[in-house]
Amino acid sequence: MRKLATLITSAALLASVGIAKEIKVGAVMPMSGPLAAYGQVTYEGVEFANTLQPTLKNGDTIKLVLVDNKGDKVETATSTTRLISSDKVVAILGALTSTNTAQTIAIADKKKIPVIAAVATNDKLTTKRTFANRVCFTDSFQGEVVANYALKDLGLKTAVVIVDQAQVYSLGLAKAFTKAFKKGGGKIVKKIKVTSGDKDFKAVVSQIKSVNPDFMFLPLYHPEASMIARQAKQVGLNKPMFSGDGVANQTFIDLGGESVEGYMFTDFFDYSAPPTQRSKDFIAGYFKKTGKKEMNSFTALGADTYNVLIAAMNRCANPEDSVCINKQIKSTKGYEGVSGILNIDKAGNATRSAVIKVITNGKAVYKTTVNP
Amino acid sequence: MDFTVFMQQMVNGFSLGSMYALIAIGYTMVYGVLRLINFAHGDIMMVGAFLGYFGVSILGLPFPAAVLLAVVGSAALGMLTDKIAYRPLRSAPKISLLITAIGISFFLENAFNVFFGGTPRAFPVPEYMEIILSLGGLTFSVASLMVPIVTLILLAIILWILFKTKYGMAIRALAFDVNTVNLMGIDANRIIMIVFGIGSALAAVGGIFWAVNYPSVEPMMGVLIGLKAFAAAVVGGIGSVAGAVIGGFIIGFTEVVVVAFLPEYGGYKDAFAFVLLILVLLFKPTGILGLNFDKSRF
Repeated sequence: MRKLATLITSAALLASVGIAKEIKVGAVMPMSGPLAAYGQVTYEGVEFANTLQPTLKNGDTIKLVLVDNKGDKVETATSTTRLISSDKVVAILGALTSTNTAQTIAIADKKKIPVIAAVATNDKLTTKRTFANRVCFTDSFQGEVVANYALKDLGLKTAVVIVDQAQVYSLGLAKAFTKAFKKGGGKIVKKIKVTSGDKDFKAVVSQIKSVNPDFMFLPLYHPEASMIARQAKQVGLNKPMFSGDGVANQTFIDLGGESVEGYMFTDFFDYSAPPTQRSKDFIAGYFKKTGKKEMNSFTALGADTYNVLIAAMNRCANPEDSVCINKQIKSTKGYEGVSGILNIDKAGNATRSAVIKVITNGKAVYKTTVNP
Repeated sequence: MDFTVFMQQMVNGFSLGSMYALIAIGYTMVYGVLRLINFAHGDIMMVGAFLGYFGVSILGLPFPAAVLLAVVGSAALGMLTDKIAYRPLRSAPKISLLITAIGISFFLENAFNVFFGGTPRAFPVPEYMEIILSLGGLTFSVASLMVPIVTLILLAIILWILFKTKYGMAIRALAFDVNTVNLMGIDANRIIMIVFGIGSALAAVGGIFWAVNYPSVEPMMGVLIGLKAFAAAVVGGIGSVAGAVIGGFIIGFTEVVVVAFLPEYGGYKDAFAFVLLILVLLFKPTGILGLNFDKSRF
């Protein structure tokens, strides 16, 4: 009995002296379900960034706790609660889409746990939330990028906008684009609403053909955007098409086939044009580790959620103090990330560059970088 | 709106309506014999589309062989669900049967989600299906032209089976009275199984057409299509095969017309389709070709 007591005391002593601790960081990602493909590539980035930098400067190790939200809103809420109350994580990375991330933020904000979103671009995500942060740009920036590029670089003056009224992402992006496009002297000749899950857009494309715009802006996700591209070609509608980051994935090209040739979209990053030295090293390491020849932009963004968090924790005296971590995340300035140079403001929004890609021969090819 | 655009929209509606019709026939036939709304029907369609996908892209079958595989596979699955899930409940209250159908629907969706993932897969469409034809300013693909033709041929075959063959007579008799049919020496269970087989085979054809026209397959694809085909069957008069086809066309046209004339409300086209369903039911509770169940069947 006495032996045991001594053992416990000495263990307690050792711990208090400051042997490296293990600090838990939560990740909420869709690893199964309809969004699994994107959740998996994003988490790949988080995980690889963790293997590159597994410890803080004081020697504490970071342990990632991943929960699968299956792409579902309710699952997201329960997994966030679980991470905070039973796993006691100091921060959460996730949860891919804007709709799900809003759930995570709503819960984490009350518990004062900082969240860093990788690719959730909806403008409203960070408003009135103290603990919400992101490393991606917002939809208003993305909408402006598309509008300016179409007007100035491509000389396209009239547009049709197709909005998915069931997605906040789509509504926000369409609004931002419309505002910027009108301000720049462009004209929206028609706005057509669709709903996610629709497959038949023949009526929509026939309608667009009859108003004959210079180009189409489709702030949609890949299932709907790819079907519209296909059906547009079927009715002989061969106008340029432009989307946001919602189509920035291989599935879009697989589903669209030949009809998405020449399709343009905005993205955060392209592996063939690494913006920083850190990107080059990360990409080289990633290729070596996985044997792949390409890297998804979501992987870079996933890695940066982790990197920004670690940098913030290193600036805190107590790396387990969530309030301090949150404050430090929001003072990220000129940070050299994998996906580019990052600045995060008081509201938690990142100022960063965007890239424009064009689908050529079944591959998304880097075209240009747009700086804020 | 000029005439060509109008005609183009009509062609679009015709093609879309035919697909709903193919699936609606299955709902209506099962309802006719069992008084059961088979909610798993839309998911059988999804399984049909997946079987076609596996046939072409994994087994490397030529397209017609893959269609055959899908049709046979789905018919077998339809009969199997009847044998495993519905037959033991023959004498149970109808509500138990309905809940079982919903259960099977969820089971199929989730099983496919677990085994094959929820990411939509590109359906390998044969090239001759994607050829674009144009006729006086109208454009349509071979696939969208084939849908109404095949639908009408299949409708003719179903009507022939129902009204000109012995099996058809048995099916119609069964719809009147199961007990008497049994007394007459007809194996009612076997006939019901045949009905499930026919309905599921049609659903598979519908699923393949869906996948050829909108080349992506995913586990949840049957949910909304199934719901609309069900609405089509009800609008047309549930229990009536010809009514199901008419209902399918009505739903298809409604959706297209909403987008064509009210593009601002295009996103609500499903709502319009279902409002139409309610309106039809208010004025004609048994649907357009509503049957008098005392006098006739199908």
